[in-house]
Amino acid sequence: MLISWELLKNFIDIEPLNLTPEELAERLTFSGSEVESITYTAGKMKGVVAAKINALEAHSKDAKYSIAHLDTGTGIHVCVTSAKNMKKGDNVFYAGEGAILPDGTELGTRDFHGVMSYGMMLSAEELGLHDVDDPSGLLILPNDARPGDKAESLYHVGDVILDVSITPNRGDLLSLLGMAREIKGLYPKSTLKTPEWLRPLKQDKEWSEEFGKISLPDKGCYAYRLGLATGAKISDSPLTAKIDLAHLGMRPINNAVDVTNYVMLMLGQPLHAFDLNTLPAREITVRAAHEGEHMMTLDGKDRALTERDMLITSGGEAIALAGVMGGEQTGINDDTNTIVIESASFSPVRVGHTSRRLGINSEAAFRFSRTVDPALSKSALMAATTLIRDWCGTVVDYKPLSAENDIHEPKPVTLTRKKLSVYLSWDNMNEAAKILDGFGISQVKDNGDSRVFMPPSSRPDITIEEDLIEEIGRFRGYNETEERLPGEMPKRADIGDSMRLSAFVRNTLIPRGYTEVLTYSFLPEDFPEKLRLNPDDIRAKPLTISNPISRDQMSMRTTLLPGLLEGLKVSIASGWREPVRIFEQGRVFIMDGDSHTEPEHVAGLIFNGVDTRSPSGNRNEDFYSIKADIESLITSRGYRVDFVSGHENFMHAGQTANIFADGVKLGYAGRLKPAIEQELDVSGVYVFEIDVTNLTEARKPAFTPASSFPASFRDISLLVADTKSNDDVMKDIRQCVKDSGSDITLESLRLFDIYSGKGIPDGFRSLAYSLSYRSHTKTLTVEEVESLHNGVRESLKAKGYVVR
Amino acid sequence: MPEENITVNAVRDSFRESLAGASTLQELDEIRVKFTGKKGSLTQLLRSLGKLPPEQRKSTGQEVNTLRDEIEHELDQAGKRIRDAENEKQEISQRIDVTLPAHGRTSGAFHPVLQTMHEIADIMQGLGYSVASGPEVEEDYYNFECLNVPPWHPARDMQDTFYFADGTLLRTHTSPVQIRSMLKYGAPLRIVCPGKVYRRDNDTTHSPMFNQMEGLLVDKNVPFSVMKGTMSEMLNAFFGKSLRYRFRASYFPFTEPSMELDIECVECSGHDEHCRVCHGTGWLEVVGMGMVHPNVIRAGKIDPDEYNGFAFGIGLDRMAMLKYGIGDLRLLFDGNVSYFMSGFGGAEKC
Repeated sequence: MLISWELLKNFIDIEPLNLTPEELAERLTFSGSEVESITYTAGKMKGVVAAKINALEAHSKDAKYSIAHLDTGTGIHVCVTSAKNMKKGDNVFYAGEGAILPDGTELGTRDFHGVMSYGMMLSAEELGLHDVDDPSGLLILPNDARPGDKAESLYHVGDVILDVSITPNRGDLLSLLGMAREIKGLYPKSTLKTPEWLRPLKQDKEWSEEFGKISLPDKGCYAYRLGLATGAKISDSPLTAKIDLAHLGMRPINNAVDVTNYVMLMLGQPLHAFDLNTLPAREITVRAAHEGEHMMTLDGKDRALTERDMLITSGGEAIALAGVMGGEQTGINDDTNTIVIESASFSPVRVGHTSRRLGINSEAAFRFSRTVDPALSKSALMAATTLIRDWCGTVVDYKPLSAENDIHEPKPVTLTRKKLSVYLSWDNMNEAAKILDGFGISQVKDNGDSRVFMPPSSRPDITIEEDLIEEIGRFRGYNETEERLPGEMPKRADIGDSMRLSAFVRNTLIPRGYTEVLTYSFLPEDFPEKLRLNPDDIRAKPLTISNPISRDQMSMRTTLLPGLLEGLKVSIASGWREPVRIFEQGRVFIMDGDSHTEPEHVAGLIFNGVDTRSPSGNRNEDFYSIKADIESLITSRGYRVDFVSGHENFMHAGQTANIFADGVKLGYAGRLKPAIEQELDVSGVYVFEIDVTNLTEARKPAFTPASSFPASFRDISLLVADTKSNDDVMKDIRQCVKDSGSDITLESLRLFDIYSGKGIPDGFRSLAYSLSYRSHTKTLTVEEVESLHNGVRESLKAKGYVVR
Repeated sequence: MPEENITVNAVRDSFRESLAGASTLQELDEIRVKFTGKKGSLTQLLRSLGKLPPEQRKSTGQEVNTLRDEIEHELDQAGKRIRDAENEKQEISQRIDVTLPAHGRTSGAFHPVLQTMHEIADIMQGLGYSVASGPEVEEDYYNFECLNVPPWHPARDMQDTFYFADGTLLRTHTSPVQIRSMLKYGAPLRIVCPGKVYRRDNDTTHSPMFNQMEGLLVDKNVPFSVMKGTMSEMLNAFFGKSLRYRFRASYFPFTEPSMELDIECVECSGHDEHCRVCHGTGWLEVVGMGMVHPNVIRAGKIDPDEYNGFAFGIGLDRMAMLKYGIGDLRLLFDGNVSYFMSGFGGAEKC
């Protein structure tokens, strides 16, 4: 919202406050309306004055130019121009030699084929006034401009514009009038003023034109009023008004339309002007749209409507989407003679629905959805007709036509000393009443510690006690209030399972060389294809955002892997040639019938680096390195971990395992599919991904003391088919010890050698294990150990092993 | 007697003299033979004992035994010394360059935003706040409606939202967790809810995904001054110094009154008009907060006539950027290991 310092003076007497725009901005910012910028519209302008063209002649050598003799109040100056729109006797702005334009340009003299030109006469554009006038011609000033008057003191050329960010609850601040009331509240010593054009106007004549009825079957239209102006001449608005509009961010169009915009900016009431003769019929009905009804709005778009939208119709034809946007055919044109001004009051809920659903954020919709004071529809119409009279020379003393539904009246709100003192640690009720009064919220009942206040119709945001407290709080400021902590000791706080688990994962993986990353939860639409997921894989059916920013951020991730692969890609692209070890912990989003789940995953990636040369030889990592990390993660959480040969479409067909914790499958680990590695232009990428939800509970370790009796060690070497895994063999050995019926325990079993090649048949390998036998009750004799161990060898042979 | 004593002492002196001159194991062996061998002086001394009168034999015998123990001990010691010295010569020949790169992996690095999340959660736990969580794909009801933002409300414009076909959405703040927690635990309540949130915004200062931590305290007669005290505890603990701060009145649909908190610029403390962090204003906007709106308390099935409270929301990304001096928000989410490792060494710097 742009606020003009000059126009503010029409509504409030700020001079006695001795206030600078910067001081006002600070006060507004701290009381809830942040001032984002302050602009001095004259910029660097210096030495620009009004001047009268005393004489005008064509240049003798070049007909393109005219030579003007200007009365600048201090003498006659000669100036050459290529503009064509001036004549003798016109007033213009003149920047003489040494003068500076708003953008900082300093003017000098210039020789035009032997005629010296001193400075220049200015167009609106050169004054920084875009859209105010034709940029190719000079800005011609009204007759009242006196030669020598400084430009910045004329027609609001030198204004100060504050850009204020208005919060959605304060629709009342979207006008100069509202800002003036706010400033009055913040500076109780100031006084409000009423501009001339806002004074009551005598309007008692019957309409000179036939007009039927205004009907409001839709209760969402609180009030609808029409004012009439006849005998209009459509032309430009007064220069000051045009400059005001431009400074406040609106393009001047013509006097009739400018009046509606001007009044809206001044008072906050959106208005609509239309040509009475383009109305389909001489009646107005405001009704709810029918489901499926269509309308062409002013922006040329066909809009499909629902029952929640409100239409303004005439003769059954929709002429406007109420409070949002007008239709195409009823606008003011250059030949318009009879103007009808509409001033209405609409439900913020209804306008809000329509404007949000259709994505139309017009000035009117923006204001109506933030609530426009219903009391304004009358006064704004009167002000607009007054200005139409002044700017368009029309007859306006016709009685406005009106129809009303229930208008929401403000309701009283009670303020209690108790709540005030709890919230603000301050409880001066008299002072509080004074503060509220400054904002126009008057005390209507005084019960001492409980007082009743009536908010003005412009402040529908004041409905509960807390709202009153906020007014007092923001007036007083929050910086002086004492600060303290809750008095009593807090109950034991719990950082929670998910934070504990997250801390455990990062405390495990970061020291193991992993860097923690955080990637987007949304993935490119085609990620399932890139991962070669089967179409019926649950991970290939992600939740999909209906209104994504781009197709690259469209599908909710079902796996953390693509984010890590992207991280690898970005790391290498940024010139990182060393090993990459990254992990991410976060949620994935899995469709589950009509609903979805958000399991917590941890995924890791290791890559040996682009440049693996090392003074200490090849130390490349492989499947077994990432296996160590996963084991560390799962076993130190207190769970048994198993790796079972597995398959994923995006993983290496021979180097992939499923990961189990206490028999529950958590995820996969292994080497990335070489074809995908090639797509990334890398080789040797190892990854894992597990659902850590099952690791939420941290198990307590169970400690067992070492036996006080010595252990006996025996080795065994077996010829094993390649298809049989180390885990299978170990299982068999353990089983054989168990089957022996001995009370001696196999305390540990450790693979210490793998051999294949010379002496070993194809398709086989030799696995050598060290076994440690121990009793908890006695020292074992050699005979006992030998007898058990030989028994184990025999049972292994019986299972088909070749014992070497 | 004096004669015999002189003899024992003479052997000791002679031994010590020999030992002092020995520098190799071989010389040591020679000394051992010279004194303790079959013809050694100590052996001879022992043999001479028999010639002594019986009353002297015992005491002199003890002295000779002591001397023998001494000699053997000192020979052992000297042997160790010489062997150690010889070993050390060999060790020196095996010298390595201790500045060569380490074997195996060196430590990774934390993510500044997650580090910040854990730090603040820890601080808040100390103030009695538990951590609560909720879904990231949320229902409109929890994300907006029960936070006093009905569908038509212009405040929805403040948070441009990602939707799914079934009307669910990606939560735009962690506030829905506040409602869910009130419904689950009732009052009194102290929670913080950290997590990812999403808004349909993408430019240099906005990421469509970012991280937030909201806090909620519900109790009887909660004053603004407690919110103020809590904020200064939290921020001072996080930044590790006492910061100046200020409150500005503001608006959020779910709090009343609402305010925003600015802290003094952590980079320049307001002393640098060209500061890249605060752009010369000296202040940084870091927390939005307010006293919880009675409608929101009510939506949490708690009686607003009995209980009130405050809520606040902090951008964790912004906090991390301020604490760790990160300039560009987008660097946080692309998984570039070179960026995160740069804080701790990583590739050798030249």
